Amino acid sequence: MNPYVLITLLFGLGLGTTITFTSSHWLLAWMGLEINTLAIIPLMTQHHHPRAVEATTKYFLTQATAAAMLLFASTTNAWLTGQWEIQQMTHPFPTTMIILALALKVGLAPMHSWLPEVLQGLSLTTGLILSTWQKLAPFALLLQIQPADPFILITLGLTSTLVGGWGGLNQTQLRKILAYSSIAHLGWMMLILQFSPTITLLTLITYLLMTTSTFLVFKLNKATNIATLAISWTKTPALTSLTPLILLSLGGLPPLTGFMPKWLILQELTKQDLSTLATLTALTALLSLFFYLRLSYAMALTLSPNNATGTTPWRLSSTQSNLPLALSTTTSILLLPLAPAAMALFTP
Amino acid sequence: MCFIMYLILFCFVLGLVAVASNPSPYFAALGLVVVAGMGCGVLVGHGGPFLSLVLFLIYLGGMLVVFAYSAALAAEPYPEAWGSWPVVVHMVVYMVGVVLAFVVFGGVWYEFSWVSVDELGEFSVFRGDVGGVALMYSSGGWMLIISGWVLLLTLFVVLELTRGLSRGALRAV
Repeated sequence: MNPYVLITLLFGLGLGTTITFTSSHWLLAWMGLEINTLAIIPLMTQHHHPRAVEATTKYFLTQATAAAMLLFASTTNAWLTGQWEIQQMTHPFPTTMIILALALKVGLAPMHSWLPEVLQGLSLTTGLILSTWQKLAPFALLLQIQPADPFILITLGLTSTLVGGWGGLNQTQLRKILAYSSIAHLGWMMLILQFSPTITLLTLITYLLMTTSTFLVFKLNKATNIATLAISWTKTPALTSLTPLILLSLGGLPPLTGFMPKWLILQELTKQDLSTLATLTALTALLSLFFYLRLSYAMALTLSPNNATGTTPWRLSSTQSNLPLALSTTTSILLLPLAPAAMALFTP
Repeated sequence: MCFIMYLILFCFVLGLVAVASNPSPYFAALGLVVVAGMGCGVLVGHGGPFLSLVLFLIYLGGMLVVFAYSAALAAEPYPEAWGSWPVVVHMVVYMVGVVLAFVVFGGVWYEFSWVSVDELGEFSVFRGDVGGVALMYSSGGWMLIISGWVLLLTLFVVLELTRGLSRGALRAV
């Protein structure tokens, strides 16, 4: 892609998220979300094959619907309450509608069907931007509204963890597995949103770090399905031994980073006298853990058959910059002891 | 005046149904012309003639004309107008939906809630519509700059998407 166009689009991505972060007016927040959608469309079609164009069309339609719903709810709120302030939403109807619109934008169940197909049609880098950066702006808005009904966020969260775990079980394509993992993690974030927004923000940031590591590992190995992943251990043996730790961190096992949000969420839910919900959610996490374990099994715990020439790639150095991968891998494995500092840092 | 406003809104909904019933794009553009025209009528009737003129000139006279020319380039031998069977089915479903929505949500005639933009005519120096535009250029200066920049970004996005004829992202180009 032309470097000037690339810079303009990336700048547009940054500008959109920044506008939504710093806005207190619903119209400006909507503008930021639309700028994000517009700017990422050519990035998604930069590899000009029809699958990418199909994924872009599906992404554009869902995001446009969600933005239209958001605008409709904001104008209804302005009509009913006379003001456009984000943090002053008191009427239940526009509040609920905005929560549903932002859930569609981000890919929560039951509005999740677009996410696996869209991620499957993209390159790993663009999929990384979609899974990480594009989730920041809607969550900035979700963290600021007070939901009218306590059940809507809990329903969205529990359905998402269930769908994310169950849907990922039958997948062999890595990008679809990461899509379902995204749905499950977003479900965990929504569960705790009304009780402790601090933990939601903490879950979001740790999820961003862990999924960045995973996407970058797959990109380094140029692996898009489990079969390719299984024979990729010869490319970077050191990283292959670390990847199960990243995947198990995504699955939420102690003493890795991914345990921190799940622990805090279960503790907070129990404190709010919702122990049944906490148990159900922990059980749905087992479903996700299964496919993370399957990926670790295929990649590092077993050696799949390959030719003799497949044993030599580690001798060549990779041309990909390894600094982002190194940083995100370290943080997604070792951050658990910093839990008290993280809780203090993310209090809004 | 109330009756005229009712007629205009009735034609507005008819035009919306004509667009949403999925005919060929140039017939849908005709529906959009009707919708935009009726919307302008509503704006004029409620005291915002400047915004109505801007809508007519820019939306109808600029964007819809360009769209009509582009849609004409994609002409098909058997276009689907509002007489063909699938379009009629869509139209009937949407009309039934509108009537159902009116029965469920409507009932009372809300004439007293139709306030006009110049209801504060004796109390305020600024008219509603022109005062809003003036605000956009003064206190809302940054938003205006961002809106202009977003339009430029949209231009780059569209140019990037259609670049490369059929080797690019869109094979139909």
